[in-house]
Amino acid sequence: MTQTRSLIDENGIRTDGRTGNQLRDIQIKVGVIKNADGSALIEFGKNKIIAAVYGPREVHPKHMALTDRCLLRCRYHMSPFSTDTRKNPAPSRREVEISKVIREALQPALMLEDYPRATIDVYIEVLQADGGSRCAGIAAASVALADAGINMRDLVSACAAGKVDDKIVLDINDTEDKEGGADMPVAFMPNHKQITLLQLDGKLNSEEFIACLNEGITGCMKVYEVQRSALMQKYFGNETELKE
Amino acid sequence: MSSSRRSTIILENLRKNQIRELIASGKRLDGRSPDELRPLNIEIGVIKKANGSAWVKLGNTEVVAGVKVETGEPFEGLENKGALIVSAEVLPTAASYIEPGPPDEETIELARVVDRGVRESEMLALDKLALIPGKIVYTIFVDCSIINMGGNLFDATSYAVVLALATSKIPVFEIIDEKVVDTGNIQDPPINTIPVSVTFARIGDSLVLDPSTEEEACMDARITLTTNSNGEYTAVQKGSNGFLTIEQVKSAAETAKIKGQELRLKFQELTTTGQ
Amino acid sequence: MQEVRRKFVIPGDIVVEGNSRPLVNVHKSGNNIIASRIGIAEVGRDGAKVIPLSGVYIPRANDIVIGIIKDHSSLSWDVDINSCFSAHLPAQDLFGRDFSPARDDMSRELSSGDVVSARIATFDRTRDPILTVQDKDLGKIPFGELLKISATRVPRLIGKRGSMIQTIEHATSTRITIGQNGLIVVSGKNKDGTQLAIKAIRMVEEEAHTSNLTQRIKQLLGVEDNVQIDSKSRSGAPIDNDEGHDDSMLGDKNSVLQSESESLSRDQ
Repeated sequence: MTQTRSLIDENGIRTDGRTGNQLRDIQIKVGVIKNADGSALIEFGKNKIIAAVYGPREVHPKHMALTDRCLLRCRYHMSPFSTDTRKNPAPSRREVEISKVIREALQPALMLEDYPRATIDVYIEVLQADGGSRCAGIAAASVALADAGINMRDLVSACAAGKVDDKIVLDINDTEDKEGGADMPVAFMPNHKQITLLQLDGKLNSEEFIACLNEGITGCMKVYEVQRSALMQKYFGNETELKE
Repeated sequence: MSSSRRSTIILENLRKNQIRELIASGKRLDGRSPDELRPLNIEIGVIKKANGSAWVKLGNTEVVAGVKVETGEPFEGLENKGALIVSAEVLPTAASYIEPGPPDEETIELARVVDRGVRESEMLALDKLALIPGKIVYTIFVDCSIINMGGNLFDATSYAVVLALATSKIPVFEIIDEKVVDTGNIQDPPINTIPVSVTFARIGDSLVLDPSTEEEACMDARITLTTNSNGEYTAVQKGSNGFLTIEQVKSAAETAKIKGQELRLKFQELTTTGQ
Repeated sequence: MQEVRRKFVIPGDIVVEGNSRPLVNVHKSGNNIIASRIGIAEVGRDGAKVIPLSGVYIPRANDIVIGIIKDHSSLSWDVDINSCFSAHLPAQDLFGRDFSPARDDMSRELSSGDVVSARIATFDRTRDPILTVQDKDLGKIPFGELLKISATRVPRLIGKRGSMIQTIEHATSTRITIGQNGLIVVSGKNKDGTQLAIKAIRMVEEEAHTSNLTQRIKQLLGVEDNVQIDSKSRSGAPIDNDEGHDDSMLGDKNSVLQSESESLSRDQ
């Protein structure tokens, strides 16, 4: 949509005090849901999102199972109190679309052919939303999948970039999402260098498009550092080096 | 239509026998005494976008409740009162056997029992929350997301709802030119009382308070009692497909009053100090 | 001594560049061998692999597992083996070839909630695992306490030639039955011994990737450090020189029930 008011001041400071290429604060805790096979809680700016993984496990009903590989099921869901206006608990069309793109973002990283006739269920629950929740959800889900010990080619990192006040900025927040010029969420496999989610909502010319994509990938690499560090911390704690 | 069905939790017989034997001699698997609660940890104000929130950890059970205040039409027959709507959802993250979808009979019962405890105790002075009686009133939504099942959802959810409400900050609305306007000010909720829910499971001839998942898997019956600050009972629900004796109900009721008051003092501390 | 390089990895990390044989829990990408799981990566002369630190148990033929009876159809019991598939124990396995559902009562032998130790007779990508209890020492487990650990920690719990588990059994006077699926039954005559054994098992589960674990376990159990319990040696023999080494994480897996295969060369 076309912006109506200025969201960046004359010093280049955005509505939440950040500069153009600054990421919001991110914290990831691994293994927060005791009953799940893998889980993670992410706080990305004001986003507070839990991802839980159950799997590989049996498929019910049995006829839905695939004979040669694992099923992957993904649900992105927002708690009624997570948004500015209370949200009806029934799944909205937005949640259905987001569930699909998240599934498609995670699938390339998973070695589903290793678990025929089983299913991997990924549940992303948004407790508080603040712009970029699908990216934060993917980042948490990725960590939860690794925590569950599922064979993966790589983690999947995710971050959104956008256009605000005609400038390309990294990691747009809720206000920038609602009022800014463009919003581009990106998901990326950091070691294999492959893009697994890409969407655009807004208007960008060719240069802006490339710049925005690059910015998004840069953001993904920064998110990757946090994901990696959270997993290493949980599994290896203070033993940073393996003693021979 | 409600049908009885096989339990979803398979607890092996070795464990069931172990639990029954221990309880018959007054002990529990995790070392608690029969009327002892598991560690209870409550954080309030965790969801900043909500008007009030509470994250409750009761043993391994985790519930997050959030309060959202809007305006809307009053309920039929309650034209002069604000509307209170309590809902709960067991998220599929909570246990391996939970499937996503509309709430099942257990979840609906849970939400209604928790709602009853809050509503019948008149915790919120709803008559102070009408803007134009008969037309526009405050609508208070309390929604709970159950994140991890560890036993005794009734109490964990109730505590989350009560604390989210008690610590919420309500926007002050006014009617200007027949339209609802948010003045930007906030007010404390009009609280009359703090209802406290206490749940017991009957295993053999013994009653145990705050059952864990494993205890629930071998219980014969369950009873939840909610009391208010005056020691009055405002909601009671017997659950599960076994029976309770008259003595057991009386004993549970007595303990519920006492434990209720203990917890009420702790909750009141939380609401004043915010810790 | 074989030269082996080890490091902590998460999925996507490069285990080794260049020509090396990919063993388990790794995959090839271009010229590199990449980790597929969180765990300890090892590169040796025979290839590169990752010893996983998490993951649901994936059944394998001939594994000894512990399961809980869920239900039964007219011809077999459905058994929960803490895995991604339900297992089935044919009634004929207990009643014999001439089993007849009309005449023989399945619940007389095994009913819902019973705990059994069994061997996975068959399992492949096209159907659920089939169990058998015909071998020695298999069948219903009537006494003891059941606990669950991550299946990835079972090799460490067993230890080199069973050394870790036997240390725990001797120090606590318990008998511990370990399933490759991470289910374990501890039975002992006295409650304190059983609880101490459970504590030790939990400690191994938690710290499986650390060094000097054996020392700390022995400390917990009150066993002197220079006594090594080894079924093959005389009692009181001095320790091996591999106390600092955690290669029992990959050690040969001898379950208490004496099965033989190398647990970590899984082809999953």
